[in-house]
Amino acid sequence: MHEVSIVQSILRTLEREFDQEDIERIVQIDLEVGVFSNVEPILLQNAFEAVKTTTGKMKGVRLHIDVKPIKVYCSDCQRESLIEDYRFICHACQKPCTNIVQGAELLIKRVHFED
Amino acid sequence: MAEKSTRTARGTIICDNTTMALLKANDYVAEAIRREMDRRGVLLINLTSSPGSGKTTLLQETGKRLKDVLRIKVLVGDLETERDAERLREAGIQAWQIVTGGICHLEGQMIMQALENISLDDTDVLIIENVGNLVCPASFDLGEDYRVTLLASTEGDDKPKKYPRMFFTSDLMLISKSDLLPHLPFSVDRAIQDARDINPDIECMTVSALTGEGMDAWCRWLVDRFEQKRRSKKPEESYDVE
Repeated sequence: MHEVSIVQSILRTLEREFDQEDIERIVQIDLEVGVFSNVEPILLQNAFEAVKTTTGKMKGVRLHIDVKPIKVYCSDCQRESLIEDYRFICHACQKPCTNIVQGAELLIKRVHFED
Repeated sequence: MAEKSTRTARGTIICDNTTMALLKANDYVAEAIRREMDRRGVLLINLTSSPGSGKTTLLQETGKRLKDVLRIKVLVGDLETERDAERLREAGIQAWQIVTGGICHLEGQMIMQALENISLDDTDVLIIENVGNLVCPASFDLGEDYRVTLLASTEGDDKPKKYPRMFFTSDLMLISKSDLLPHLPFSVDRAIQDARDINPDIECMTVSALTGEGMDAWCRWLVDRFEQKRRSKKPEESYDVE
């Protein structure tokens, strides 16, 4: 629902991080989006296209979204478990575990520039 | 934020996870709010739910019951209108409306701006009544001590599994409109079980602002949390008066 704000946050983040000349040479942005981040990849793609059209920025830039499943780490068993159906348990000891190590992220992972 | 790189960017740059986290700006503001509330010893509650689950009605009743016990102020967010703030004021609660103008959630920056217009000197508890929405507000930390989520009996008991992040990030789930439970196929046990699959530590209560059922327990929860907060308040640095 707040996908447009997230796209604007992508633009702001890149503008802070890189010079305008470099920004114009971006060809692809890779995002890492956790299943638990409440962001729907298709809607994010649509929002990205909409923001491109309305602002005239990031023309020709592709957005690649890597979706990450939820994993928790149980410190008792020292094991990671993949979480399915939002049942937050350690698969080894079956105890509740909410120590998320993957799946809540919302990150710009890589930025590709033309050479 | 690191200085901009002076060299020309070429090829692929692998970004540092922390600097490129897209909600970092919000988290930074939320931390500033949290520090300020800790300094003042004000308990900050972020109250969330679907639209129409009874957040405002619960607060009206809470304000009436605790008017001689806690000094409660409310910041209420909505897409449009001042109606909720007016309802709260009619119940004798000091309330301010944040009109988001179409934004589906409150962000730290909106709270920070609102706080510029509010005196917190005579405040024990500040409650943020978030925009009615179980999706987006879940992702935005507002610097709260506790997140309280209402699940109305009329919504159905399947909501925790449908909106897992909200229940994962909440400290207390209030099953509201409990007076309607006898008329609805809503299993309190199932709702609690599903919420605890997601968040084993979540506390759960049933309340009805209309009949008063569960209101004593909820009010006690609020008073207890406030007293804990006051006890843990960091002592003010003392200044010698010249």
